[in-house]
Amino acid sequence: MKKTLAVDIGGTFTDFVEFNDGVVRAWKALSTPQQPAQAVLSGLSGSSNQLVHGSTIATNAILERKGAKTVLITTAGFQDLLQIRRQEREKCYDLTPNRTPHVTSRDEAIAVNERIDAHGRIITPLTEKEISRVQKLALQSGAETFAICFLFSFLNNVHESQIARALRAAGLHVVVSSEVSPEYREYERASTTALNAFLQPTIRSYLDELSEKQPDLRIMHSAGGLTSAELASERPVSLVMSGPAGGVLGAIKTAQASKLSKIITFDMGGTSTDVALCDGSPNFRNTAEIDGLTLQTSLIDIITVGAGGGSLAKIDDGGALTVGPESAGAHPGPACYGTGTEATVTDANLVLGRLRTEQLLGGKIELNLERSRTALGNIGEPSSSAKSVIEVTNATMAKAIRKVSVERGYEPEDFSLVAFGGAGPLHACELAQEVGIKKVLIPSKPGVLSAIGIGTATEVIERSETILLALSDPKIKERLVQTSKKLESQIQDDFSSIGEKINLIKWSVDARYKGQAHELRTPILSPSDDLASSFHKLHEKEYGFANHKREVQIVALRCRGEGKNPHIPVFENSTNNSLNLSIEIEGTPSRLYSRDNLPKKVQGPVVITQSDTTIFIPPGWQGREDDSGNLILEYKNSE
Amino acid sequence: MSNPAQLSIWNLLLSSIADEMGIALWRTGHSPNIRERKDFSCALFDIEGGLVAQAAHIPVHLGAMPEAIKVISRLAPWDEGDIVILNDPYLGGTHLPDITLVSPVFSKGTMLGFVANRAHHADIGGMSAGSMPVASELYQEGLIIPPLRLYKKGVRNQEVLELLLRNVRTPNERIGDLEAQIGALAIGAKRLQDLVTKHDSTKVAFWMSELKNYAERLTRSAISEIPDGIYEAVDHMEGKENVLLPICVKTTVKGDTITFDFTGTAKQQEASINAVAAVTRSAVLYCIRCLLPQDTPSNEGVSRPIETIIPEESLVNATAQHAVSAGNVETSQRITDVILRSLSIALPNIIPASSAGTMSNFTFGSASGNQPFAYYETIPGGSGGGPNSPGENGIQTHMTNTLNTPTEAIETEFPVRVRNFSVRSSSGGLGEQQGGNGLVREIEFLTNMVASIVGDRRKKGALGLRGGSDGIPAQNTYIDPDGEETKLEGSVQLSVQKGDRLRIETPGGGGWGKKGEID
Repeated sequence: MKKTLAVDIGGTFTDFVEFNDGVVRAWKALSTPQQPAQAVLSGLSGSSNQLVHGSTIATNAILERKGAKTVLITTAGFQDLLQIRRQEREKCYDLTPNRTPHVTSRDEAIAVNERIDAHGRIITPLTEKEISRVQKLALQSGAETFAICFLFSFLNNVHESQIARALRAAGLHVVVSSEVSPEYREYERASTTALNAFLQPTIRSYLDELSEKQPDLRIMHSAGGLTSAELASERPVSLVMSGPAGGVLGAIKTAQASKLSKIITFDMGGTSTDVALCDGSPNFRNTAEIDGLTLQTSLIDIITVGAGGGSLAKIDDGGALTVGPESAGAHPGPACYGTGTEATVTDANLVLGRLRTEQLLGGKIELNLERSRTALGNIGEPSSSAKSVIEVTNATMAKAIRKVSVERGYEPEDFSLVAFGGAGPLHACELAQEVGIKKVLIPSKPGVLSAIGIGTATEVIERSETILLALSDPKIKERLVQTSKKLESQIQDDFSSIGEKINLIKWSVDARYKGQAHELRTPILSPSDDLASSFHKLHEKEYGFANHKREVQIVALRCRGEGKNPHIPVFENSTNNSLNLSIEIEGTPSRLYSRDNLPKKVQGPVVITQSDTTIFIPPGWQGREDDSGNLILEYKNSE
Repeated sequence: MSNPAQLSIWNLLLSSIADEMGIALWRTGHSPNIRERKDFSCALFDIEGGLVAQAAHIPVHLGAMPEAIKVISRLAPWDEGDIVILNDPYLGGTHLPDITLVSPVFSKGTMLGFVANRAHHADIGGMSAGSMPVASELYQEGLIIPPLRLYKKGVRNQEVLELLLRNVRTPNERIGDLEAQIGALAIGAKRLQDLVTKHDSTKVAFWMSELKNYAERLTRSAISEIPDGIYEAVDHMEGKENVLLPICVKTTVKGDTITFDFTGTAKQQEASINAVAAVTRSAVLYCIRCLLPQDTPSNEGVSRPIETIIPEESLVNATAQHAVSAGNVETSQRITDVILRSLSIALPNIIPASSAGTMSNFTFGSASGNQPFAYYETIPGGSGGGPNSPGENGIQTHMTNTLNTPTEAIETEFPVRVRNFSVRSSSGGLGEQQGGNGLVREIEFLTNMVASIVGDRRKKGALGLRGGSDGIPAQNTYIDPDGEETKLEGSVQLSVQKGDRLRIETPGGGGWGKKGEID
């Protein structure tokens, strides 16, 4: 059987999980942001047959604006598209609104004399003379890469192709909007195209470096599946949520082992928290925004909130306690780490006895309780302030959970909460109680769940095509049949190109009432399904009303091919440092266990430590580890 | 003082009700104005009609939504399922295209408060498609809807609706947008009911009131940071025949209170640039809100330490039945400019130079073909240079924050072609921190229709500050099919033919600080 090494690069740590014939081993190493490949390669022992990889590299390159020098080539009159964007300011109450810079500046644009209209007809032809003028300008610009985006190219891409051909003939590297993101709305499409161009050289050289050492390489993309290094290099914008998508997949797999399919994932780290809802499978969306820049790509619908263990707690001028979005970060870190003086969520957990001075990260960092007490003392009486900090933090998380559930028409009490990340298991039970969830699952390795998700993921390739026809249109049936055939055969080809077989095809349509601008991604059984009723049902669920008399328009058809599912891993417990101590939590006698030394049943209040996290079980909750090694916590208030 | 943690938690709970109504309205709206440009606001009120939370959408609605709640009290008592509709600027509205819906919320027979939303509809009838005409009286601007029950005990008043739809050019779009507004109200009501089921109504009412006190404390604390004193400023609107109409403010800061006195401002006009008092209050609230922390709840508490003196029958407090469509969008920007200018004397290191100061409202449409249509948009200019940063190019400032409609959406739905949408180079004022550049927008008409532009700052640019120079004023130009150009007034209404073009060049922002020797 083949060995697989899964690697997830995060901001601080790089997580490794090795799957070797049913034996699973996990470890962490410090990330090397300057040479990200180095951390990955350091984990390769030479014995692994396959490397599967999730990475923040694309996101970091965007945040730091470190990429190829890019020039935008667009329809004359629209050369400032990436500067004007949608013309709004980010914050409503801002006297001096300034945008974050896009990846191309105003003078990095070439305006082309051409025009296609809203029916796809050529209004201003692209002349040979114009093509050679553009080619000359491109050569003179000294740019490494060119993003081509013309108006209405999603209807007719002839001009984009002509310019692309001319530039490629001159040895230039181009990215074409009708290939990357054939969807309407010119700013969003141009932005996606420019970002893809900007990222391509960086991502390609990074993945080339990895494939050289490890030819059998798979990359995790934002839509929750693996792809080849080649396809990932072509479409680096698809990697922006690579790591968090791995976390969601890991949570789904883990929950499946405990026979739970309706889950809300809760990944709380040091500076931010990711939340997603999976009703059997996750929900998806088509647009993301990173540092003010829009990109269109299929991604798991994950909500990120700017609060985590390192978030700073403060009393504002109006007397309210606020937690985050400012964070103590890695430096100075929470007060208890020894340098910082401001109170964080971690300090609050320590003061309340939920986090123990006895153990953190396998005891690598010594925690100073007195420093936490002093920091919280600046807010009020240390213990009650600590309680308040936890309450506000949980309320912030509860808002995120309501966003993915209540606001989309789901009831949180029908779901279980899967908690992971360094701080998730500390807050999970109280958070669950806050939103009405009765069951919490803590995976056996919550600190490396993303890597586990990546390592157990399957190949996923998605393709879509714009339809833009009303359901009443006589052409639509034929069009859907033809498009579905085309998409399916393309995906077949994609799978053969990476040497895999398709196991499952899933269909969805982006639909809306005619006149609306925002589509609902509506899952369907097949393109010949009753699309209208699926859409009405979903609209009713999401927005509380449906109008069966209104015309439904199909904007796009989406096809998702999935490869074979690998087995669900079982972790073997390695006993090293067994604890079973009497402790006191907020005046109540409690117990402290290590995860590998749990009794059959535990009754809160209890603290459980393990090398990658700490779990707090409050009063009223009881827990047991099931056969798959997951800790299942249930609210059973005996009062 | 109330528990600091609970204060924060209830701020989250109550503000998300208004936010969520906004998301629903945006996603389900039908006209480009709502679904693409987000030209709407959503708010939650307590049982006395006090504003509890308003989502950060359109600042010009800030002070105006509470006015709507005040006037509808004449329709009390309330029943569950009632929905009131209004747009009368002299009875709780701002200008006619802004249609407001308000609904009382009940739980087990007890009334909890109100949910409300206001959306700018692309047509409400009147003398020109898009309902932003160059008018001299209110009746020309469109259908006036005094506060009426559109729904009574959950049953739609079909006759009111039919009267409304018969008076607008694009009834199908109106009904789609109204349905979206009603859906959003239902979501807001449901969330408030859920909160009461979980926490009981006394507790919810208690925290609504505490949050208002909290916002008041934050506001008083911010005002205390402004040095005591009297600060005066004046700027102008452009009236007919090149007459400059002054807008004056005397701002008095005393401890933790502030007074804005607009005495000296020009008289109301026989034109649409009159602002109703609610719009002036919105401008005042917006300026103060900008000095508060980002997460401050926008509620009644913010207005408590603020006094506003607005002379009647003036440009900033028009009386019935003066035309008002541009007061909301143009005069409101100038009121903001003068308030900020007065504050810049007290806060030289915070307040930037003037921004574009006009929304450059552009409408076109036709009711003559078999498919009537109406389109509305606002075009931003540059923002003013500030003490710490240059102005931004082509960005919405102050009283509006609407998005543009993508060219690919406009051309799919309307018989026009966008010829140019780019940055207007060298239009920002010079200075140590330059003003942002305005934009150029050029539209070609593919069929005969009526087009109008309502815009100020066509003669005098956005003012520079502390030695920075003024921005370049706006310019409207008509271009015939042969390319012959004719300069136009700031506010014009034209019958355009197929092949004609209009070019709107929006103003740059003012520069801040004297420019150094070296460029």
